[in-house]
Amino acid sequence: MPDDKATLDREEEERDDVTHSTASAVLENEVGLHARPSVKLTQTAKRFAAKLEVALAVDGPWVDAKSPVKIMRVKASKGVRLHFRASGPDADSAVRELVSLVERKFDEE
Amino acid sequence: MDGLEQVAEHRVDQTLQRRLIETVASVVIDHADELTALDQAIGDGDHGINLKRGFDAVRADIDKLAAQPLPDALKAIGTLLVMKVGGASGPLYGTLFLTLGKELPPNPTLADLAQSFAKAIEAVKARGKSTAGQKTMLDVLVPVQSILAERGINLAARTAAAAASAAEATRGLRAVRGRASFLGERSVGHVDPGARSSALMVMAICHVLGG
Amino acid sequence: MANVGIVIVSHSPKVAEGAADMVRQMVGDNVPIAYAGGNADGGLGTDVGAIMAAIERAWSSAGVVVLVDLGGAETNSEMAIEMLPASRQKRVVVCNAPVVEGAVMAATESSGGSPLEVVKRTAEELMAS
Repeated sequence: MPDDKATLDREEEERDDVTHSTASAVLENEVGLHARPSVKLTQTAKRFAAKLEVALAVDGPWVDAKSPVKIMRVKASKGVRLHFRASGPDADSAVRELVSLVERKFDEE
Repeated sequence: MDGLEQVAEHRVDQTLQRRLIETVASVVIDHADELTALDQAIGDGDHGINLKRGFDAVRADIDKLAAQPLPDALKAIGTLLVMKVGGASGPLYGTLFLTLGKELPPNPTLADLAQSFAKAIEAVKARGKSTAGQKTMLDVLVPVQSILAERGINLAARTAAAAASAAEATRGLRAVRGRASFLGERSVGHVDPGARSSALMVMAICHVLGG
Repeated sequence: MANVGIVIVSHSPKVAEGAADMVRQMVGDNVPIAYAGGNADGGLGTDVGAIMAAIERAWSSAGVVVLVDLGGAETNSEMAIEMLPASRQKRVVVCNAPVVEGAVMAATESSGGSPLEVVKRTAEELMAS
C-alpha cells in the first residue's frame, strides 16, 4: 500500500569513525524539485560539514547535494522519492534536516 | 624637421597641448554627422553621436587637461571617453588614450611616442579581441604606428596621408567584428566609421604639429 | 568573512533588475547583489560607469562575480574592472555563464559562504551541458 506520508528510514552506522546516515522522503510540493526548492535544498545542505548526496533510487546515481547546478538538473517531480546519504560528523542531523525540508514542502505551500 | 620631430626636442608646452586637444575634439565634433552616416550604413548608427558626446566632455574640461602633464591628460581623456562615449568605441578609444597615458613619459621623444603607441594598439587589440584587417580603427592605427617607428622626412605629412588612405582602404574590407560583421558581404563598399574617426584624429594632430 | 557579491549586467535595465529580483526571491538576502542595465540614455546597451557603481554597491571583502548577457556587456564589464583601484581589480571576475541562471547559481553558492573561485566555477558549470 503506498505510503502518502514521507517515510523516514534512518540508519546510523559507525564505520571507520565516520558517521554515515541515510534517509528518504517523497516530494509532496506541486512543483517538485523545481528551481527554488532546489536552491533551498542546496543552501540547507551547505550548512552541514558532512558530505551530502541525493539520488532518485536507493543505489544512486548520487549527486552532490551542495552543488546548485547539479541539484537543479535533477528535476524530480511531485511524488518522486528523494534518497539522501551523508557521511561526516553531522551526517545524522544533515539527513534529518533535508528530510524535514522535503516534508515541509520547502516552506513554500 | 617638422613638428612631430620637434616634439622630441621641446616640451609639449601648455599652449601646444591645449591646441592639440582642441583640434582633435573639434575635428571629431565637426564630423559627427558624417561618422553617424557611415555607422548607419554598417553599424548601430551612433558612432558620431557617441564620439561627439565624449569629446564635448573633453572640450568642457580643456583648461584642466591642458594644465596637466601630457601623460595625465591622456589618461584623463581616456577616462572621459570611457565614461561618456559608450557603445563599442567608448572602451576602445578609452583604452587607447588610457594606455598611451600610462606608457608615455612626461617629455616624450618620437621613439617614446612610437613605442607607447604600439603598446596602446596592443591594448586596443586585447579589448576588442581583434587585429588589423578586420575593418576597424586598427587598420588606421597600425600603419600610422609603423610610420612613426620608421621616422624619416616629412613625417607629419606622410603620417596624415597614410591615415587617410588607410581609412579609405577599409572600404574594400569585409567586417568580422562588431555589428557590421553581421552584414557580411554587405559591409564591403563602406568605409569603417572607427577607421574614419581615428584617421581624422591622426590628421588633426599631424596638422597641428606639421608646421 | 562576508559572502561573495553578485553583479548582474544586461543590455536591458528591466532584465538586470528582474534578474536581481529573482535572485533575492530565490536565494534570500545574505548575498550582496547589484545590477546595471541600459546605456547612459536609458536605452538598450551597457554603461561602464553604471557597472563600476554596481560593483561598488555589491562590494564584499570576499570579492564579486559579474554576470553578463551579450558581448558589449562583457567588454564594458572588463573595462569597468580595469578602472577599479588596483587592490580591488583582482577580486572581481566576469563569469562565462547565462546571465539569469548564472546569477541564481552563483548567489546560491555564495550564500553558503564559498570563496570567489568556487562561486565563479559554479556559475560556469551551467555552460557544460
